[in-house]
Amino acid sequence: MDEPDKPARIALDCMGSDRGPQELVAAAAHLSLRREDIVITVVGDGQVIGPLLDASTYDPRRLSIRHSAQWVHPEERSREELERKEDASILVCCQMVAEGQADAVVTAGSTGAAILAAERTLGRVPGVRRTALAAVTPTELRHGPKQDPFALLLDVGSTVTVSAEDLVTFAVMGSAYARIISDNPRPRVALLSNGAESHKGPAEVVEAHALLQNMEGIEFIGNVEGLDILRGTADVVVMDGFVGNVVLKMIEGFGEVVSDLASDAHGRKFLWRLGLNMLSSGMKEIQSLLDWESYGGAPLLGFTQPVIKAHGRSGSRAVANACKVAAKVARSDMAATVERAVCQFPRQGQGTR
Amino acid sequence: MPVQSKVWRHAYRWDLDKTYLDTRFEKFSELVRIPFQGAEDKVNIPGSAALLRELSRSAEGQPDAFVSIVSGSPKQLREVLEEKLSLDGVSWHEFHLKPQLRNLRKGRLRAVKEQIGYKLPLMLASRASLACCPRETLFGDDAEVDAFIYSLYADLLTGRCGFDQVDELLSHVGASAAAKRDVERSLLKLEPSLSEQEPVETIFIYLDSGSPPALFEPFGSRLIPVFNYYQAALVLFARGHLDVRSVLRITAAFLEADRCGPWELANLFQDIARRGHLAYDAMENLALAIQDEGLGSETEQVLWASARRMLDLGDLATSQLEAQQEVSDYLQLLTQFKEAQRTIHQARSERVPESSGPQA
Repeated sequence: MDEPDKPARIALDCMGSDRGPQELVAAAAHLSLRREDIVITVVGDGQVIGPLLDASTYDPRRLSIRHSAQWVHPEERSREELERKEDASILVCCQMVAEGQADAVVTAGSTGAAILAAERTLGRVPGVRRTALAAVTPTELRHGPKQDPFALLLDVGSTVTVSAEDLVTFAVMGSAYARIISDNPRPRVALLSNGAESHKGPAEVVEAHALLQNMEGIEFIGNVEGLDILRGTADVVVMDGFVGNVVLKMIEGFGEVVSDLASDAHGRKFLWRLGLNMLSSGMKEIQSLLDWESYGGAPLLGFTQPVIKAHGRSGSRAVANACKVAAKVARSDMAATVERAVCQFPRQGQGTR
Repeated sequence: MPVQSKVWRHAYRWDLDKTYLDTRFEKFSELVRIPFQGAEDKVNIPGSAALLRELSRSAEGQPDAFVSIVSGSPKQLREVLEEKLSLDGVSWHEFHLKPQLRNLRKGRLRAVKEQIGYKLPLMLASRASLACCPRETLFGDDAEVDAFIYSLYADLLTGRCGFDQVDELLSHVGASAAAKRDVERSLLKLEPSLSEQEPVETIFIYLDSGSPPALFEPFGSRLIPVFNYYQAALVLFARGHLDVRSVLRITAAFLEADRCGPWELANLFQDIARRGHLAYDAMENLALAIQDEGLGSETEQVLWASARRMLDLGDLATSQLEAQQEVSDYLQLLTQFKEAQRTIHQARSERVPESSGPQA
């Protein structure tokens, strides 16, 4: 986006999420009434979306529909599905951005389909070989001048097998994202490993450590262990997509288990109930920290345009927050910042467009 | 020639508060101030004055449409409201205001708020007084029960609804015996002119309170909920009430009060088309008319953006609403409508709070 006063145009993929299009339509309707700086095109089956919208309170000036009769189901194989479905909603969203009809994509559908659709239509930033899905997680320590209680984890599911160069690229992209979105001028970047020492971990982590240590423009603090993630030792924690996805789901699950245990204990003994009531404000604070719906979706970093992946189980609040993040990224020069940073790294292979 | 004896091309009936005038208030002090506002302080709903002006004049610039205003505002405001309409350059033939002071003096507290027993008899009497039987277009809002009153009025003019039904309904809402007598008298007068040809062509309901359009589905395809008068102007162009220059003047007036770019206008176009109230050929006709008139690049930009949005709809752009269906029980419809309004109002007040995510 070149003109900061212009509203950010979001292409919102309404299909393929676990909770159905109603949550996404509700989020779009809600934003149309509250955010003059965001215009949303709801992409999906118009026969389904239209009646959902008609039953909502919305402002049609900031909301439109792009009909697409096909979508990728979460349980289907994304590559084959996208080959077969030229009019799939996620593909239409990415095409809209590629053709300049929208500034960012938000989807709660299949991650694989989003990556493939973005690869096909938007292309990667020159110098980026693999893309990364970044997610925020709550931490004990605060981050940056705004004292954000969140750290950025990447990759959390985009690229399962990575090279040392990919990890370095992730570090560069994560650092740029934290600078822009969290307004943190010097985010501390770390690699996730099984020990703080530079020689610990798989070969690609050890190699990436050596590369990052000598890299300018990145505040690399070395390796961190799993326990450091929630403690908040680093602002940006870099790992491969397999480990990242396991870590992220574990943190989410932990929050849900704590909440379930508390409600279970509440009903069992009077003394426990009393104790929990006394701790209720603290519990609420923990719950709000672990509430992933308020985090605003995970950006897929490395593409030339913003693509935000909301959780498959997202409700309207989570989708609305994802759209707000997408608007913020769209207004920044994220792609250019990543490109500049990646170009400093001489061993990086060339990206494709 | 008396107004009633003239042959009118069409009749337009308007509500005033929240339909023509923006009388929304956020603070109690703003509500208290409304009756004391001067004509120049009154604010229009964007585009309302321009639309009414354009509708009431013919191609030759002469008024040939009957304009009636039935408002629930108290009679004491007549002077200031008439002055406001004059300032807007609007001409009218009837202007009814509610005798609120008399209602209060006689202890008729229910009548102060009740609208059916007030508006329906007046509208029927007005129709019965006209020598010709023009088709009608009605304008109301979603704040109270305009949709219901107008739909009932329309069905009374077709004969689909009779006096027995309306009598029961008026008793239910606590209308006075005089109101019932007036309705019966008007219906008797209108009996020879009852027509199945839908004397009421369209009912526009301006969504001032932000009601969802689906709330009005039970009233059928004759009723069109609109988010603003740009959408109403598009429908009225498609139905031959306005020419392209009128549409542009209304759009300009709308834009003056409501900051909108080509994309927002295109979205409004798509919205009214998607809901089945504007066919794809309306888009083509508008494009042809604009081409004929040789209008500027900004207009073309809006048109292109609108065409793009129509293409976005794919097959949905060609779907049209079904013909007006019959209402079997008006009393039930009123109860259900009020209940739905209440539910929506409650849901809105319990709306999920804004989240303050780290990146939002």
